[in-house]
Amino acid sequence: MTLMEALQQFVNECNKNARLREMNRDWSRRIQLESADTKSLHWLVSDKGEVEAGSGAVDNPDMLIEAPEGTLTAIFSGQMTPTEPYNNGDLLVHGQQDDMMRLDILTLLIWGE
Amino acid sequence: MKSIVSVSLGSRQRDNQGELTLLGETVQVSRRGTNGDMAQAVKLIQSLDGKVDAIGLGGIDRFLVVRQHRYEIRDARLLAEAAQVTPVVDGSGIKDTMERRIIQRLHNEKLIHPGQQVLMVSAMDRFGMAESFEQLGYPLVAGDLIFASRINYPIRSADELEELARKLLPELAKMPFDQLYPVGDAQTQAGDPRYHRYFDEADIIAGDFHYIHRYMPPSLNGKVVITNTTTRQDVELLKERGVRLLVTTTPVLNGRSYGTNVIEAALIAASGLTADDSRWAAVVEATGLEGSIVPLTSS
Repeated sequence: MTLMEALQQFVNECNKNARLREMNRDWSRRIQLESADTKSLHWLVSDKGEVEAGSGAVDNPDMLIEAPEGTLTAIFSGQMTPTEPYNNGDLLVHGQQDDMMRLDILTLLIWGE
Repeated sequence: MKSIVSVSLGSRQRDNQGELTLLGETVQVSRRGTNGDMAQAVKLIQSLDGKVDAIGLGGIDRFLVVRQHRYEIRDARLLAEAAQVTPVVDGSGIKDTMERRIIQRLHNEKLIHPGQQVLMVSAMDRFGMAESFEQLGYPLVAGDLIFASRINYPIRSADELEELARKLLPELAKMPFDQLYPVGDAQTQAGDPRYHRYFDEADIIAGDFHYIHRYMPPSLNGKVVITNTTTRQDVELLKERGVRLLVTTTPVLNGRSYGTNVIEAALIAASGLTADDSRWAAVVEATGLEGSIVPLTSS
């Protein structure tokens, strides 16, 4: 699975889940993802409960997430939780701590248990 | 005299000392805040190990018990393991018992009434209280996601709370504690007025006092507040805001409602038993410890 495929799967899961849409209804953010090894850029944008994904740079990001592409792919496809790479320094987040926590919670609610 | 120390991740401004008498034994009790400094808390626990009869962990829970599941907060385990000899407890050994009991008592004495809306600012750390409210017919909003993570999503049942705990806590419990809960100075920072409406809509506000203090609106007119770890100043503040009834889940001694970790540590010192002993429940019962019910305003 590519990172773009993983992001699209993550977006689909967010948008089809009524509870996640309610949680995100007042969360508007532009998130830049940078693969630390391949230097490829991807983005996630959340607006009024709907989430979109794409490749390339996003204007004026609120949050920057850096990690090896394999780690980002594993996180957004539910193969890995963000906690371990975050705690050991493989996942770097620049932005509000609340936004990072929300992404953790979204991935856990989609793929938790 | 037996002695215990509560080592807290909270502010040093709330430090105090006093005496508690349990089962006929007087225990010297001291609370020492570390302003959220984990390393300092570890050092303090190491320095107390073997010198006091029990150590309480304040400002942090080690175990979150949600129905049959028990989730362990990693940072709290690290703190507890800093002591090799002296038992270290977080209050979970008495929390469920005392909190269920006080809700039942309020209900039986008709100080609260089925149908009244309850806001629990956090409930994964007080699942027994949440379940008691629900079983007695009180509509519940649990604000764990709202107040801990600023996700504007009210949890509306104990079953949903359990489901979310099952999905979230195994991973979130591994995160640094200061990302899960305000520690040190963060406890006194102003909250977000967007969440005032949850307080406005509730008749009963229950749970962690730091969250209540941080997020409460200017008026709490006529409301019942059920919490603990309140000081005299906190009581005055709640009175100024119009709170009708203040209920503490632990006893008020010298004007202060102690944390459950203090009560559990003092009980270990007095009884020589820990919560995993088969006689523990009987010992808790024998203390006759009760929370307090204090009318603040007549509105």
